[in-house]
Amino acid sequence: MAAPRAMPRREVWSRTREKLRSFPHLMAACAAEASAYGRCVAANTQGSKDLRKDKCANEFQALKNCFTVNAKKAR
Amino acid sequence: MSGIPCRLRCWPARYERCLLFFSSLGHPSGSGSIARSTGWRPWSSRLDSPMNVFDRKMKRRQKNWASSLPESGKYDYLKEEVGSRVVDRVFDIVRTFPLALDIGCGKGYIAENLNKETVQTLFQVDIAENVLKHPVETEIPTYRVLADEEFLPFKENTFDLILSSLSLHWVNDLPRAFKQIHSSLKANGVFIGAMMGGETLYELRCSLQLAELEREGGFAPHVSPFTAVTDLGNLLAQAGFTMLTVDIDEILVNYPGIFEVMEDLQGMGESNCAWSRKPLLHRDTMLAAAAVYKEMYGNDDGSVPATFQILYMIGWKPHESQAQPAQRGSATFSFGDLGNISKRMTKKDK
Repeated sequence: MAAPRAMPRREVWSRTREKLRSFPHLMAACAAEASAYGRCVAANTQGSKDLRKDKCANEFQALKNCFTVNAKKAR
Repeated sequence: MSGIPCRLRCWPARYERCLLFFSSLGHPSGSGSIARSTGWRPWSSRLDSPMNVFDRKMKRRQKNWASSLPESGKYDYLKEEVGSRVVDRVFDIVRTFPLALDIGCGKGYIAENLNKETVQTLFQVDIAENVLKHPVETEIPTYRVLADEEFLPFKENTFDLILSSLSLHWVNDLPRAFKQIHSSLKANGVFIGAMMGGETLYELRCSLQLAELEREGGFAPHVSPFTAVTDLGNLLAQAGFTMLTVDIDEILVNYPGIFEVMEDLQGMGESNCAWSRKPLLHRDTMLAAAAVYKEMYGNDDGSVPATFQILYMIGWKPHESQAQPAQRGSATFSFGDLGNISKRMTKKDK
């Protein structure tokens, strides 16, 4: 028996690493959306606010769309 | 590999049983554990002990992998800096140490800064064999031993100086590790160590927590648990060290983004190996965490900071020559007379 959590095969890791490498560029392209999402999360942790699932879903969706669009462009 | 004792060369499955055998030899409290075959279960030094936080086999694999990277040198900056600061503390002690031990040596970040006048012979211990195979050049004669920090294979009263730089924060049973260090020291020997403190990587921890909370509705720990400063003093005192000194240092490193932070941590061999870690991090959560990190902690120039809180500790093994606390009732001066101290001084001069 291998380690309790089975490790994916090497090819999966190298594909994942390749994709991760482009993340910083995409982050730079979507800085405004990322900032909006970050502000929403930060605002929901202040004072008596409670951060729950999908509180900032709209901002996150905007960020994700921006990412997908830019990733397609880059390819 | 010829110089390494046979029991330390065991394959992983039997490695656990070999270590069990070894621990029951050195420590009476381990007796009885040899009867139970641990096989593949997470292994604890005492079967009922709650102190099994880290997967030591995983840590060994991570360190081996990190040192086999083609450009592993570029991740050494933190360990080199902390290693040199530990050696600074060694130089503060005006003494020559005939025999010293470096626990969790890595590539030899401490050895490269030491000189022959301070340390005459050095033993280096690490859990990962790859790391010991490519040591840094040093003028001191060194012996490299493959052993776990929790199970030091040395006799009592052997070393004049024991050092440890950034490896004790992965140890499961810290009180026991300190006791072993204490016993391996000679009387009037000193232990100087550096380990990560509780505030390390708090930006990463908080960003991941908030992102996971917002995206998935709950969070699991991703950054490993660290020791608090207050606990450290107690642990050292319990192990029998005297004249304790614990101080905190914070090293702030700026990175382009959260992925670079994580990549560098992996490259240093400091990836999380706690049993409670969540192995999977969803892409959405990673994206969310990157955005939160940048927004909440980012610098003006777009970089993000990562804090490494390093706790330095110095502890001595008791000896008659060391200053002892004064006897009660032996005071010759009262705190109440502090206001008149200048008058008393001039009176004495006359």
